[in-house]
Amino acid sequence: MFGYILNLLILVSISGILAGSLNFIIGYAGIYSMAHAAFFGIAAYTGALVALHVSTSLLVAIPLAMLLCALLSLVISLPSLRVRGEYFVVASLGLQMIAFTVFSEWKSVTGGLGGITGIPIATLFGFPLRSLEAFLAVSLGCLAFVTAVIYLLARTSFGRNLKAIRDNEVAAAAFGKNPTAIKTIAVAISSALCGIAGVLYAFHVSFVNPETFTVDQSVLIMAMIIIGGTGTVFGPILGALIIHLLPAGLTYLTFLPARELASLQQIIYGAAMVLLMIYRPSGLIGRANIKDTWSK
Amino acid sequence: MLFLQLLVDGLQLGALYALMAVGFAMIFGSTRIFHYAHGTTYVIVGYLFYYLAERLHVPWWLAAIAAAAAGVVFGVLLDRWMYRPIQRDEGSFFTVFVASFGIGVVVENIIIILFGASFVSISTPLTRAADVGGGIVVSYLGMFSVLVALLLFAFLNWFLAKTDVGVALRALSENPELVRGFGLNPRRLSQYAFAIGSLLVAPAALVATCVTGLTPTAGHRVVLISIAASIIGGIGSLRGAGLGGLILGLAESLAIWKLSTGWSEAVAFVILFCFILARPSGLFGTRARV
Repeated sequence: MFGYILNLLILVSISGILAGSLNFIIGYAGIYSMAHAAFFGIAAYTGALVALHVSTSLLVAIPLAMLLCALLSLVISLPSLRVRGEYFVVASLGLQMIAFTVFSEWKSVTGGLGGITGIPIATLFGFPLRSLEAFLAVSLGCLAFVTAVIYLLARTSFGRNLKAIRDNEVAAAAFGKNPTAIKTIAVAISSALCGIAGVLYAFHVSFVNPETFTVDQSVLIMAMIIIGGTGTVFGPILGALIIHLLPAGLTYLTFLPARELASLQQIIYGAAMVLLMIYRPSGLIGRANIKDTWSK
Repeated sequence: MLFLQLLVDGLQLGALYALMAVGFAMIFGSTRIFHYAHGTTYVIVGYLFYYLAERLHVPWWLAAIAAAAAGVVFGVLLDRWMYRPIQRDEGSFFTVFVASFGIGVVVENIIIILFGASFVSISTPLTRAADVGGGIVVSYLGMFSVLVALLLFAFLNWFLAKTDVGVALRALSENPELVRGFGLNPRRLSQYAFAIGSLLVAPAALVATCVTGLTPTAGHRVVLISIAASIIGGIGSLRGAGLGGLILGLAESLAIWKLSTGWSEAVAFVILFCFILARPSGLFGTRARV
């Protein structure tokens, strides 16, 4: 039971990192990327391969994954410079589909649909993180780090520039800001932070396969942000908590047929997305005024 | 020889993609609603057809009509009960997208509970292939789908050019304010757009269910292909969407010539990506629309 709770908390902190890093570009930059699970996957595969072939140290795997994610984030920032709104959402969804195809078809590297198994235990400063407690502490530390980075960035001139570009790109450019550079850097930071989550995930479950990095995962991450509230620092963490507690809570309702549990859970969160969008589009702890949050 | 066979297959696939894409372009072009649940309409039509024809043994034409009607009803009700309340609050495209995605997730999982997550298909005598000479085989169903696509596009052309509703729908995509000023109700018109758009995706769903089978999650791919084709053709241009669908179908099929089937699934999105980077307004779109 205790192990179960620790497991859940580790997954919540990993999801919190994912949601927080995505929120950085959705909430502050207005870049609605639906390809976040692709970067999650790239980092997880990187972490797995580094652990198997180079080193099990988190201090090696995490920076490498972050670097790779930041470099590959160009495939997101390039279209975000060309098109906005719906067009960008579709472009990112397309990239997500391409990424899934690469994960499942580039068999020599990713192991195809079977994935990569037997990832060794992570080490930090030479100490193996054998117990769940230790791994949870590291995950929470990473979550705190990511949240702090986003919190601080949002309050620097860089964060203000981002919001200015989100609200009116032409006006920001007229004030001498460089939207191209600012957007590219924001997307690179977001993807790099997402990379931390990927490596933690790979070490935690000691197994990666393409099924984790689908469009549905991207939507799940987005749902966390929407439920929690976009453009807020703690909203995504709350969203991650709710999304993970829902299935955990459902398992206690014994009258529900166990076989359909996964589907029921999806139905509940799908319906929640619809109802939230109709009645409270700004999320649970977002600003009450809808127009402030979304209409930009 | 393989090339010619793939070309023929690609034409058939392209006809289906064109139907889906024109349906999406019809809805998005005139109402500006980012109808992600377009793929959900496809899945509903396909599964209802499967249920009626394969499990209840209803005559196939009756099952097809009933399934297509259900798709149209789904589209119109979604417009009325979901998109309209959201748009009343001046929701942004993203609000609409999330809600539309949410309904897709709900329907997908209801279907998983009812029919299971694995793939279903219908066996009909029409799936049999005919040799048209030179070793090229074409299934009757494939010819049928090309024919249906041509017929529906001819009908749509007539409808948009000659009928009052058709003209009003075109006007709505050009200038919604003017349509309102003219005394027409955009809300009413948007229902027509949803009805026609959903009707267009129905034959694609029916044929694809017989030819390749259907899974509850097929909707994602369907709507993404539809949107990709609309963007490639140029948003606002139905002809462009149709041509975009044809291009994607051909490209996906011809890719098998050099790549394995798994990789060919990504081809459409690579093409989309190139278009977004190089020519985001698409083939027939005007620059100002993007």
